[in-house]
Amino acid sequence: MIPAAFEYHAPKSLEEALRLLNRHGSEAKLLAGGHSLLPLMKLRLAAPRCVIDIGRIHALRYIREENGRIAIGALTTHSEVLESPLLRAKCPLLPQTAREIGDVQVRNRGTIGGSLAHADPAADYPAAVLALEAEIVVASADGTRTLRAAEFFVDMLTTALLPGEILTEVRVPVLSPRTGTAYRKLHQPASGFAIVGAAARLTLGPGGKVEHVAVGLTGVAPKAYRATAVEKALTGKKVSEKQLAEAARHAVPQDVELLSDLHASSEYRKAMAVVFARRALEDAFSHAQGKKK
Amino acid sequence: MKLQGSYTLPAKREVVWQLLNEPKQLAACLPGCEQIEAVGSDHYQVKLKLGFAAISGSYSGSVRLSDKKPPESFRMNVEGRGTAGFVQGEAKIELVDDGDQTVVRYSGVASVGGLVASVGNRMMELAARRILEQFFANVASQLRA
Repeated sequence: MIPAAFEYHAPKSLEEALRLLNRHGSEAKLLAGGHSLLPLMKLRLAAPRCVIDIGRIHALRYIREENGRIAIGALTTHSEVLESPLLRAKCPLLPQTAREIGDVQVRNRGTIGGSLAHADPAADYPAAVLALEAEIVVASADGTRTLRAAEFFVDMLTTALLPGEILTEVRVPVLSPRTGTAYRKLHQPASGFAIVGAAARLTLGPGGKVEHVAVGLTGVAPKAYRATAVEKALTGKKVSEKQLAEAARHAVPQDVELLSDLHASSEYRKAMAVVFARRALEDAFSHAQGKKK
Repeated sequence: MKLQGSYTLPAKREVVWQLLNEPKQLAACLPGCEQIEAVGSDHYQVKLKLGFAAISGSYSGSVRLSDKKPPESFRMNVEGRGTAGFVQGEAKIELVDDGDQTVVRYSGVASVGGLVASVGNRMMELAARRILEQFFANVASQLRA
């Protein structure tokens, strides 16, 4: 449980971190909360020659409302997301999701930027940022660029981040009226990771029709994805719980490569994706109707 | 862990056969291959750096080819050991003509043990599939070159 020797840097600013990252290139790993990287290093499954600890860049730790969106600094912990009055009031899907991540220790140390950049296929946040159609801001020595959540996740443990880039911010929309959200998850009891996790956001328009719906699924495939067939089956329709269940059956498209491991076969994951997508949609729907908060 | 699949390569199977049986060219296609050395007929020692993102390690092991029926099929035995665990596998590889192209079909069983198996279990099957895809993509680009 002792990692291999590594060089350690603790930059105090983003600029300094970017300089270090450029200097050390692929030999360096960024350390944020450390709840993905450190276990791997202790087991020597990862042995980066250089660790750049960005955990002390306090300027990347914030949750604030800006231009009708909420901006969350990459180093914001899961606990801070969970307890944020601003997010609870205006974007409850993120706190709803943060509540389901790992255990207290993981939530106190793990960060939203770290989780997204690691892109574990069973991490929780990816489902939520997809359902929120969030924007992900990344910085490099050349400036910043903004990516849509849907283009950020590329493959298992692989994102659209380029060498020399650091994820700095996540931007989520402020909930519009008559919108409900929910995250429902089947936990793997030992690890706390999602066997299946479904995030739903549903807005009702005039006359009770579904004006907008977005569903993100994690744990099912090499990367989290939007269940577009489910969304299509509901958009513009007046729905009841029966239609939600009907639509949820499209949660796993034909061409999705399914995950399979010791804990859950691909068939089981597929079946549970349907069940948990339905539950998330039901909860989001009843929140949208104002039944409960 | 069962692994099976197929991949279409842009060359006739005699050409594909030759490439797969030529250690230098094979080494260029093996993802993360740092060294390959023939230690007997159809028996090679290899050093590979395998993995995904943060989770990668160095493995050394041997590859042995048997039951060769040029240019149709062969069996491949792989054994490897690294800091994070060990892998052992056997696969049958068939080359099927398809006009100017060749369809490579593989089916085999691999077992993985040690840390990488107990900790990496969630992602192992997928990682193995990705490594194979990468291998065939490399073969395809060698053939085009």
